[in-house]
Formats: sequence, structure tokens, C-alpha cells
Amino acid sequence: MLFKTFWKVVSKYKGTIILYTVMLICFGGINMAANNNTMGFSDVKPPIAIVNEDDSVIANNLVNYLKDKSTIKDIDNNYLDDALFYRDISYIIYIPSEYGKSVFTENPKTIEVKSSGDYKSTLASNILLAYLKVQDVYKDDYRGDELIDKINSNLDKSANIKIKSKLDTTSVSNASNYYSFASYSIIAVILFIICLVMCSFNEKNVRRRTIISSINLSSYNMSLLGASLLYGFVVFVLFNILALVLVGDIMFSLRGLVYVINSFVFTIVTICLSLLLSTLVKNKNAISGIVNVVALGSAFLCGAFVPASMLPNSVLKFAHILPAYYYINTNDLLKSIEEINYVNLEPIFKNMFILVLFILLFIILNNIISRLLRKRNS
Amino acid sequence: MKNVIEVKNLTKEYKGVKAVDNLTFTVKNGEILGLLGPNGSGKTTTINSILSILKYNQGSIKIMGEEMTPDNSKLKSQIGVVFQDVAVFDELNVIDNVDYFCGLYIKDKKIRKEYVLDALKLVGLENYKKYYPKQLSGGLLRRLNIACGIAHKPKIIFFDEPTVAVDPQSRNNILEGIQKLRESGATIIYTTHYMEEVEILCDRIIILDKGVILASGTSEELKELANIDEKITVEGIEVKTTLLDKIKANKNVDEVHMQMNALIVTYKKGKNNLVDLMDLLKQTKVKYASIYSEKPTLNDVFLSLTGKELRD
Repeated sequence: MLFKTFWKVVSKYKGTIILYTVMLICFGGINMAANNNTMGFSDVKPPIAIVNEDDSVIANNLVNYLKDKSTIKDIDNNYLDDALFYRDISYIIYIPSEYGKSVFTENPKTIEVKSSGDYKSTLASNILLAYLKVQDVYKDDYRGDELIDKINSNLDKSANIKIKSKLDTTSVSNASNYYSFASYSIIAVILFIICLVMCSFNEKNVRRRTIISSINLSSYNMSLLGASLLYGFVVFVLFNILALVLVGDIMFSLRGLVYVINSFVFTIVTICLSLLLSTLVKNKNAISGIVNVVALGSAFLCGAFVPASMLPNSVLKFAHILPAYYYINTNDLLKSIEEINYVNLEPIFKNMFILVLFILLFIILNNIISRLLRKRNS
Repeated sequence: MKNVIEVKNLTKEYKGVKAVDNLTFTVKNGEILGLLGPNGSGKTTTINSILSILKYNQGSIKIMGEEMTPDNSKLKSQIGVVFQDVAVFDELNVIDNVDYFCGLYIKDKKIRKEYVLDALKLVGLENYKKYYPKQLSGGLLRRLNIACGIAHKPKIIFFDEPTVAVDPQSRNNILEGIQKLRESGATIIYTTHYMEEVEILCDRIIILDKGVILASGTSEELKELANIDEKITVEGIEVKTTLLDKIKANKNVDEVHMQMNALIVTYKKGKNNLVDLMDLLKQTKVKYASIYSEKPTLNDVFLSLTGKELRD
């Protein structure tokens, strides 16, 4: 009977549950899409212009090198500055006359440059510097064609890099981002609904009518607790099914299991916090404000919306008093762990242990406050 | 008749102030007992003490011969309570609300369904089953509150000021419902500060003030305490001193006084007092707008016992 009524009251707030679930799908999805864009890399040839006033072998070899590594734009010297301003080119290289000769002297002529300041200009700068550094190494020992051969053969060398990690960084990153954002939805959906429903059951007059009825109060309270736990479990299952849909195969791995366990422990923490707050707060209108402060506050301070690595130290220090910090920290750690083994999982176990301590703290506080309130009311 | 409730020397203090002071009374099986008194007289405290919602400082309470304790679920199953404040779920409709509160006592679904429909019929909410509390008027909400309190068909029912701020139509409906409950065999304890309701409903009345029983008995017995038999009011009258002297000369007259533009004459006893007074007014050629006679009310009783009106 009590269970049935609990779920009937919950069903009156289904709009809120749907809202937060849709938010999780939308923002979790956006988070993952953003993540996918940053993981790719493609080689870009920066657009540059060269003003070569030297016809030496050295200068010509530099120009040939630059032609290979970048896109040379043929622009009239009078319009070079305009082209740079409008980002038609990102870099202008001025090779002065007699540069080739001056390389071997004590005071070599300087190659002047102009830069647009964007990332393509940085790339162009790196290409030019790479050439000049190699030229500097060989210029004292070699001359003429021999020097050119040395420079070119050196610059032609390339190294093949293979990433030996079997870790699917994109999927792992997606999963971490999803679960971190889910902390907000878990807190909001569980805290909001349990507080509202318990507020209805604990309303002064309804509670009084229940107390004077023949129902056993212990079993009544246990039924309410059971119903709250079941509701939290349903939310946990729902959000993990969504994870399966959005994140994919990684959820069937050992790493996926750790994500699930972490979210399960965090769900229990949130249920206990909800029960504590429902003991303290008797006003339905106040619940909405409290939920926003707790859910949004935790999400912002602990790194659910903005990665924790980008948050100031002072904020992160404060976040240590919030359960969401340890939950999100575990998700972040799972992103960087290469292999799931006991040693690597140690910091994660530590986080989960702290979450269990939060569970105990909330249960003890709830008991103390309930007893004080009962004493005061009698 | 057998005593269903026995309250002996009940005392309840709040921070040193006695809300109920050494109260002793009994409630007989099948009767409607009225607890009448102004706000703060200790009516609700008495009920809450009987129901074990409050811990009392002194005294004993027995219901059906058993000591009433917070965990006596056997006794609790026989009791129904309708509180002054509406106690329902905003999220549940009328039928679900009644079903929930009935379900705190009755586990069998089939019986419960029948009981719920009976309760809705009794309070006249059969046509509002699917309505939510916010969709109901104040009076209908009070009726829902009553249905929730009595749906499990209790043998003893406490009504704590159920008609406060209720429209006349709903008030009549509620009072009729309570009479039907009594007819079905329930014992009822009814608290109110509306003396008219007590007079209509109750077999016996206890008048409370400042946590103390001032008087108890039937309505007629209490009215005798007022020491007046009849009150005649003459409105729109031009009074002369000689007339007042002539009225006072009647040995049945207790008191004569003017209130606004009306002459009020109270009689200790006597018959045909109204006819006699009208004859006297005719003889003395005194003109008046209207004249009517009243029997003493419980307010007069309260006035004579405390020196203040019940409505104060």
C-alpha cells in the first residue's frame, strides 16, 4: 500500500524526471561530441609568402624546403601586409640579399618575418626554425653542395610513431565525460523527487494521522526507506542503460564495470543525502532551491561541467568536502589509467571508501536529527 | 451504558503552563460527547493526550478498558481521528487519498474498496473521486478530510473542530454525516467552539476553560446552570423609567437591561412571560418594533460560569 502510494506520488513528478534525463542525454551527448573533435589530428600546410632577395644556393634551398612544407602564395610585395591582415597568409619570410654568403660569417644577416599570430603562423615559424637549426649545425663543417645535401638529408629523416596503447581513448573519454555529467542528473533527479515525496509523507498532519493509525511505525519507515532505495536504483539503472546506448562497448569491459560501481555508490550517497534533507526540510517550495544549490553547486565545483583540471586550486580544495568530487575524480582517473589492475585502482578504491564514509555520515546525522525532532514534538 | 473512554486526573504542562489541569471524565459507548470551550481551553491537548500523540505529565487514560499507549495498535485500529487541519496528499486524487488512509488500517483490498466507497458516500464526495485536493473547495476538502479519518469504520471517532471556516452547506453535510456515524454505532468525541453544533449533535457536553472542566451534563442540565429560564428581547423601544420599574416588579424577572436599542429581560422561571410583557407594553402604550423570546444558550451558561462570552 505504502509502496503503491510512494510510486503514485513519484509519478506526479514524472515531468521533472524526464526533464533531467533529457538534459543528461543532450548535454552528455554534446560533451562527447566536443571530445571527439579534440582527439583528431591532421597535418596542415600553413599559407605563407616569401620575399627572397638573395639568389644563393643556400637561400634557394631554404625556399625549396619551405615550398615542400608549406603553401607558398604568390602575392605582390605591395599587398603582403594586407594579405597578412586578412589571413590570406599567416607568415611572411624576408630573405635579405647576400644572406647565403653571410651565413658563414660571424655576423650572418637576419631573416625577418611577419606573423598573423594564429596557430598556422606558429606552425610556419616551427618549420623555418627547424631548417635554420639544422643549417647552423652543419655550416661550420660543410660548404656548397655538400652542406645542402647534409641539410636536406637531415630534414628528410622522419620517425614513425606508433601508439602501443590498446586503450580506446575516445570511448574512455566519452564514458568519463558522460558519467561526470551524470553526477548532476543523479543528484537532481534523486534529491528532488525523494525530498518532494518524503515531504508529502512527512507533512505534519499526514504524519500525525499516520502515527495515530494502527500501522507499525518501524515497518512504515522501513517501507518508505525501501521505496526510496528502489527509486534510486531505478534511476541508477536508467542512467546506466543510457550510458550503454551513448558510450557503447566499453561498458562491457572491466573499466565499464568500475564506472557502474562508482555510479552505484554515488547513487547510494545521493539517496542518503536526500533522506537527510527530507528530514530537515518540510517546505516543498524550499526543496527546489535547495536541490539547485546542491546539484548545480556540486556540478560546478567538482568538475562535472568544466573539467577539474581547469578549475582553480582553491575551488578544488573546497570541493573536497563534497561527495561529487570523489565520484568525478574516479571518472577522471579511469580516463587516464592504462590497465585496470589492483595497483592502478587503488586511488579509485580510496575515493569509493570516502563515498562510503559520506553514506555513514548522512545516516548518522539523519538518525540524530530525527530523534531530536521526535523529542521536541512530544 | 458501558464506558468506552476513561480519563482520570489528566494533566499536561507546556513549559510550566498547565494546558490541561487534572481532567477527569468518561465517554459512554455510542454517545456523542462534546468538548466545548474557547480557543486555548485545552480541547485539542486533551484529544492528543488520549491518542498518545502527546506525553502527558500525570493521570491515566483507558480506552475500552485498556491503557492507551503509542504502540497499542489493537486499540488504535478501533479509533478514527478527524483533525482540524486537513491531512491529505496533494499528489493523490480523492479516492486514492481515502484508500491510502484506510489502507493504514485495512489490508484486504476488497474490503478496503467497499469501505472507501462507503466513506465517500457518507460525506457526499461520490462525484469527486478523481478530483485532486487543489481542485476542491474548502468545504469539500474538509469532507475529504473526514472521509480519510473514518473510512476504516472505527468504533471511536474524534472530531477536532471539523467545521472551522466551512460554508453552511458543507457544515450541514458534515453534521449529518456525524449523526449517521452515531446511528451506525460509533462513539464520538466532538470538540468545537460553536455552541450551536454541540447543542444539535451532542448527548453530553463538557465545558472547558483554561484546561479545567467548568461543567458537564446534557444541554438542558447545563442551561439550568445559567440560572435563567427565558430571555425576551424588545427591539426599537422607547423606554421610560416607570416601565422598567413595572417590569422589575414581576418576581419572575431576574434582570432588565438595555443593549443598543433593545430592551433585554431575563426570567428565572414562569410561564406566559412573553404574553405578560406584551400586555404590559400595550397597557403603558409603549411602542416597539419587534419582540421575541429565547431559551438560554450555552453561551449564557459560559457567561454565568466565567463572566465572559464563549466567542471572546
